[in-house]
Amino acid sequence: MKFSRIGPASVFFAFMAIVPLAGSVFWTMIATEVLIMGLFAMSFNLIYGYMGQISFGHAAFFGIGAYATAMIGRTFGNDYGWFFLALAMSVPVAAIFAAIIGFFVIRRTGIYFAILTMAFGELMFFLVFSSYSVTGGDNGIQGLLPPPLLRAPSHYHYLVLCVVALCFVLLWRITQSPFGYTLRAIRDNAKRVRFIGVNVEFCMWVNFVVAGAFAGLAGGLWAPFTRSVAPTLLNWQESGIPVFMALIGGAYTFAGPLFGSLIYTLLHAWVTGVTQYWSLVIGLVMVFIVFLAPTGVVGSVLRQWRTPGISAPAEPKTPTVASPERG
Amino acid sequence: MLKDQNNSFLNAISRRDFILKSATAGAAVMMSRHARAEAAEPYRLGLLLSATGSGANYSEGGIKAVTNAVAEINGRGGLLGKHQIELHFRDTQSKPDSAAREARDVITRDNVRAVIGTWSSAEALAVEEIIDEHKVLHFAANSNSSRLTHENFSPWFFQYSPDTRMESGAIAVVLAEMAKKNNWKSFVSIGQDYEWARAQQAGFLEAFNKLVPDVKLSKEFWFKIGETSFGPYISGIMAMKPDFCFGAIAGKDNVTFIEQARPAGLFKRTVYPGGLLSLSELQQLKDALPRGMIGVARAPFYALLDQPVMQKYLKMYHAAYGADAYPSDWACMHYDAVYGLEQAVTKAGSIENEDVRKALTGATIDTCRGKATFRACNNQLGVPSYVGTVTDSPDYKFPILDPKTMTKVSAEQTWLPSCEEVQALQKKRA
Amino acid sequence: MPFDADLLMTQLVVGVARAMMLFLLSAGLSLIFGVMNVLNFAHATFLLLGGYIIYSVYSLIGPGILMFLLAVAAGCVVLAAIGFALERLVISRMYERELPEQLLLTFSFVLIIGDLIRLVWGVEDRSVSFNIEPLEIFGTFVNPYQFVVIGLGLAVALGLWMFLKFTRYGRIVRAAVHSREMVSALGIRIRLIYASVFALGLALAALAAGAFLPTAPMALGVDIDLIVQSFAVVVIGGFGSILGTFVASLIVGIVYAFSVLVWPNGALAVVFLIVVAILIWRPWGLFGSELRT
Repeated sequence: MKFSRIGPASVFFAFMAIVPLAGSVFWTMIATEVLIMGLFAMSFNLIYGYMGQISFGHAAFFGIGAYATAMIGRTFGNDYGWFFLALAMSVPVAAIFAAIIGFFVIRRTGIYFAILTMAFGELMFFLVFSSYSVTGGDNGIQGLLPPPLLRAPSHYHYLVLCVVALCFVLLWRITQSPFGYTLRAIRDNAKRVRFIGVNVEFCMWVNFVVAGAFAGLAGGLWAPFTRSVAPTLLNWQESGIPVFMALIGGAYTFAGPLFGSLIYTLLHAWVTGVTQYWSLVIGLVMVFIVFLAPTGVVGSVLRQWRTPGISAPAEPKTPTVASPERG
Repeated sequence: MLKDQNNSFLNAISRRDFILKSATAGAAVMMSRHARAEAAEPYRLGLLLSATGSGANYSEGGIKAVTNAVAEINGRGGLLGKHQIELHFRDTQSKPDSAAREARDVITRDNVRAVIGTWSSAEALAVEEIIDEHKVLHFAANSNSSRLTHENFSPWFFQYSPDTRMESGAIAVVLAEMAKKNNWKSFVSIGQDYEWARAQQAGFLEAFNKLVPDVKLSKEFWFKIGETSFGPYISGIMAMKPDFCFGAIAGKDNVTFIEQARPAGLFKRTVYPGGLLSLSELQQLKDALPRGMIGVARAPFYALLDQPVMQKYLKMYHAAYGADAYPSDWACMHYDAVYGLEQAVTKAGSIENEDVRKALTGATIDTCRGKATFRACNNQLGVPSYVGTVTDSPDYKFPILDPKTMTKVSAEQTWLPSCEEVQALQKKRA
Repeated sequence: MPFDADLLMTQLVVGVARAMMLFLLSAGLSLIFGVMNVLNFAHATFLLLGGYIIYSVYSLIGPGILMFLLAVAAGCVVLAAIGFALERLVISRMYERELPEQLLLTFSFVLIIGDLIRLVWGVEDRSVSFNIEPLEIFGTFVNPYQFVVIGLGLAVALGLWMFLKFTRYGRIVRAAVHSREMVSALGIRIRLIYASVFALGLALAALAAGAFLPTAPMALGVDIDLIVQSFAVVVIGGFGSILGTFVASLIVGIVYAFSVLVWPNGALAVVFLIVVAILIWRPWGLFGSELRT
């Protein structure tokens, strides 16, 4: 029982730690990508898996975090101090935007939550895109080198590994706290939670801000990793990626999105090396997942294993979002 | 082999076929390659162009050109007669972020020594960061923001296309003449809201202001790439009653803009010069393109029929795609990029990156556009820009920019006069 | 910027023309959501598919305006057939499922159909040109095609409204928007209704593609730009309300036309500011029904 709780995750992180030792720059960078996108997907899953709402504008916070790091980095250069400050600033900047946007979106649920987050995401995208003098518009910002010691792919990988592992523990603590259980209760039946005196809106808002902050940090890690940022990081297609990762890995397991990121990134690396029809392949995989493994790959595996009460957020008994029945 | 253009072209892009095609280039080559005892190390070359998204239409020419040129070189035994070129294609999806990721991928996974390509300037800027760090050569033959060779310069970057400063400077030279003749007073600009158009417009303003300071820009319009209805922009332009409207629009958007501006009467009221009229536009817009419109081209084959390299390429192109198929400007520039690499390797006598880079820096090479020299301080190939008016031709089924009246504006006329100025702009990479 | 009456008038006309384009694009999306509660990310991708089909048919039977209309009709029929089949085979299995899965499914259509188009038609842009000459009215030039688009938009709006209001099937569809169970309980075959609505929505997308073709080429990636604007329209108007979609199209089209004059590169940001404002104020949109939140 204990193992199935922390086992897969510790195996995962241990594996991530030894990837650079194999000496392949390519696989090291893929592993870094898995970690950053995994953090992004896990932050999304706070909203989806735990709060029961689906955000289709989560990339906005990822992008805002990336731009925050990029703009500070561009202005002050890449000293160690400035670099870490720029990285750290991605968190509060994304959190501030999430606080403002969250204030409006948490009042809605179901498909309206999805649409509202998407609309805000597109608004942020167009603002970044249009503010040519500040953000560089469509060009984005280039030349975001990390300081010399962190420039080698394996060094940057270990930095990312430390940050993501720390976030993993933090997220675990958050989801296991009374707050985390309140969220699950809200997901399953918001009305009942309200009756026992919980401020449902406030809980949802806090969770939205926390999710935005973690997404921002993922973006902040991403910017120096690719050495440049562009507004496409914020648009709705990018927002589809964490949704997909969470679903492929299993939204109702704590580490599911992390494994979703692993599967998605490996698939991407493999398919783009073989054919240019990446969209077709990933589209078919999505259809496959939706029809055959709706609880995700990790979720399906866990279902075979688990004893009651282990996999972090148990699946809700009833569909959480509107289906035609609710009319 | 490549009769049915679309399908075989698409098939050709799968990585396996790519390697196959470039490695074999006919059974005979295969034999000779195996017959040779020492199998020399292959030269791994990355190709980063868009197979999806808005850049796909314009990347097709480049993909064809590189594939064909590589097959031809491999048919002769490869670089230095022994290094077969192994081509690795990656789709950049017309997005800067994907371009950076794919560049990283092809460099670290396939260990390419050089990459050719990227469609948009924003993609090229993102890729330039990656290649500089990995010390991989980058030959740009399409994306041409002047930032690539100035502010963001990397010594590993080589520009085969005239950069935006040169291209828009060339238009400024021609328009300044017209402005003086017609006593023009004001103009507006419209452009795509992205790197190339921004740089193109800025370059034009700078050059034009120097030549005719009294003609003023009264308004700038910018629109998002992929705009589908230009009505509001067109009436906005017409309301300003400008003497001319400078267009910094390329690709599909230029097609859309012209298709909508013509029935709206824009061309009856004002002149619209400056649009990039490559062979793709001339062919795909052959009916809608107003005759007499002024446009700029980068490598128009029909004006370069006397160049030996162009003659050779045309022959190869006809053999591959049929007698009435012609290479686009994009194809010609990518063809130049591959043969530029071959000439540099031959000169260096080595395929090592440092040697090739040194050999190419400041080198004079044969291209479709005649002999041209790389400027030593920023690796910009000294090629002219071609400004001309759209006219029908008895030789082709599509209109061309009239070669008889075409102005060939040389590189020296339009790039920054001294290398000190160039170096002042080039930031130091840490 | 000289804001004289002439400019305001022209800008209004081009704004309305743009609005009608948006309406043609969004009517099907709104209808499908209203009846089935399915948010079709792929709606503009179906438009693109319709455009390519119309192009192919037209290059077979063309040239001529009559032949073009015929090609558009063929495109609508093909798309309706695709829509019907897709609803029966795939979409119908999704009604009981959770929202993210529905969204991911239609999102996957965007990816799959986009690549299928590339496989079949290649990467070249496709356009149909009629060489329309500008019309001179009171000394200003106007694009006569704009009036064709405005007329078509009005006709479709009127047609849909009459269909929903006065025909038996229209009433059933409207009833289905409000309560699926009641409609089923009355012995009406709801599955057939759903499939037909999906087919109608896709046929509308093909019609919109027909309106687009003479002014803008069909090209890969066009759908991604269009769907975002279409969502804006449907959200403002209220999902499922044809009247709302119509009014919202007018708002977005006209606001866009005027913001081009003031802040040209921020016109889309302005549109999304309106979307967000409306969503905060009335999440169900201007004409949507509050019951459905």
